[in-house]
Amino acid sequence: MTATALPPKSSTTDVRVRVRAKRLVLYTVLVSVTGLFLGPFGWLVLSGLKTQGELAASPVHWLPDAFQWHNFADAFHQIDFLGYARNSLVIALIYATLVTLSSAWVGFGFARLDAPGKKWLFGVLLGSMMLPQMVTLLPTYLIFAKVGMVDTYWPWVLWGLSAAPYLVFLFRQFFAGMPRELEEAAIVDGCGYTSIFWRIFLPQSWPVLSASFIIAFTWTWGDYIAPQLLLSTDRTTLAVAVMTTYVSEAGTPVPELQAAASVMYVVPILLIFLIAQRGFVAGMSTSGLK
Amino acid sequence: MTVDQISSSAEGRPAPAATSTGRRAPAADRPRISMTARRHRAFYMFTSPWIIGFLLLTITPMVYALWLSFTTFDGISPNWRYVGLGNYRELLNDPVTWDALGRAGLFAVTSVPLSIIAGLGLAVLVNRPIKARGLFRTLLYVPAVVPPVGAGLAFKLLFDQNSGAANGALTFFGIDAVGWLADPYARYVLLMTVLWGAGNVMIISLAGLQDVPRELHEAARIDGASAWRTFRSITVPLLSPVLLFQTVTGMIASVQTIMPLLLAPLGDTSGITTVPQSNYLYMMHVFAQYFALGRYGYASALLWVLFVLILVVTGLIFKFTSGAVFYNVDPEAKK
Repeated sequence: MTATALPPKSSTTDVRVRVRAKRLVLYTVLVSVTGLFLGPFGWLVLSGLKTQGELAASPVHWLPDAFQWHNFADAFHQIDFLGYARNSLVIALIYATLVTLSSAWVGFGFARLDAPGKKWLFGVLLGSMMLPQMVTLLPTYLIFAKVGMVDTYWPWVLWGLSAAPYLVFLFRQFFAGMPRELEEAAIVDGCGYTSIFWRIFLPQSWPVLSASFIIAFTWTWGDYIAPQLLLSTDRTTLAVAVMTTYVSEAGTPVPELQAAASVMYVVPILLIFLIAQRGFVAGMSTSGLK
Repeated sequence: MTVDQISSSAEGRPAPAATSTGRRAPAADRPRISMTARRHRAFYMFTSPWIIGFLLLTITPMVYALWLSFTTFDGISPNWRYVGLGNYRELLNDPVTWDALGRAGLFAVTSVPLSIIAGLGLAVLVNRPIKARGLFRTLLYVPAVVPPVGAGLAFKLLFDQNSGAANGALTFFGIDAVGWLADPYARYVLLMTVLWGAGNVMIISLAGLQDVPRELHEAARIDGASAWRTFRSITVPLLSPVLLFQTVTGMIASVQTIMPLLLAPLGDTSGITTVPQSNYLYMMHVFAQYFALGRYGYASALLWVLFVLILVVTGLIFKFTSGAVFYNVDPEAKK
């Protein structure tokens, strides 16, 4: 059909021009969209390198006259940046470690074991993914306040121990795909399910374990509202400190320090993502697909 | 665990092995049942962290909030009392609640479809045979990894009335600068923060796109279908479970977003009063009652109304899409 439809000679150059034009449009769109997506973060970095005067100037001062690298040092020293970063790190490590292990544990149960009510429970688990967390967080805060767990890291320990539905689902999918012979052989050898889990399933699930750990770590590092609610100003996380502590005596935010600080707050997460990209993306898309 | 080991060796091996462990009589007459019973017990042992956690950290707070919603509890005053449906009556008669709900609804029905369309568009774009495909995918996804605090600050600086790049670009084209972070424009900035994270939908759709059988595309091309037609009649139906999932989770996320607070002049929860009117979504209304006024009882009623609404809307979405969503139930068909 194509052979007869196309006129014989000039067509090849014609087609080539059209293909080239098409490709040009494609790459133009691609590059400009990517630029647009990187713009806000680029602007944040740029703002961290300006003087306060340049950040207040109207019309806009596109580029700083001189890069104010000292903003980063100032942002670092004006508050106990390291202290807040340590708080963030401790909370994120506690939560990510515990929730990864507990979710793997629960995921194993849903993938490999059976009991009356399992289907129903799994339905509840999936449904609970759709529960708006904000609805539970505010009353949870009141309860934690009552039992004296406000301004401690216990809430993250408890949240960590009780597994996250999303990660349980991730582990369930992974464990369900592992060959049955694995555990049958172990049972014949006299292994209980606990040791089957620890000795056979867990060592084989490094990809999911690390994906889950990274996902949980970035959640906690990025979370703003829970630490803001539950922790006092000096025990709180970097997310809250960046947002609330760079204020002038007049009570208004100091934009250049805030920008510099938030770059320092965001970059570790970006680095983790870039290094562990593959597992992270795989984890995200498995759970999205169901 | 030792008990587990003993009984499992009793079932798995013939009697001599069991006696060799020395602690149990031959178990030949009670094998199958204890095996299943053991699996059942193990199931509950494995799932108990989640079950207990769910009861303690999800159900308990929700029930507590339900109880509070019938009271005037404010955390300070000792003489709070039971008011029955009083809080619910009050919120139904409060125009601020209705406005906030309306804004949250509008935000959901604009931000969710737009970010799905954007994410799907990006997915189709980077699914083409292009150079540095991995690099483009990574760069487009990066904003979705930036924590809300970073995103909020970036957009605040970008849309600053005086020194923001957005107004810089407008004035460059001879258009008057706009107070982006105030009424009525603040809602567009909020919308853009959502679209900025469209990489999320992109990644998930991309995984779905790669599952679309190649033969289907080839068959469509042979039949002379246009690219748009192929997209509409093959790609979208096959992606529909993913899109449905994105719609539901996106809607729930949009209702819970704290971005209006982060975009306000003061990001602190005390800054709730500085959130411009057009970004005063339902959640901000809850925050205001909760933090600024300490009306825990009333705020709990607001939360329960929200919870029930989300349940209803999710149910409706599932109901009305049940015919339109295509599940590829035959895994062999993929190959």
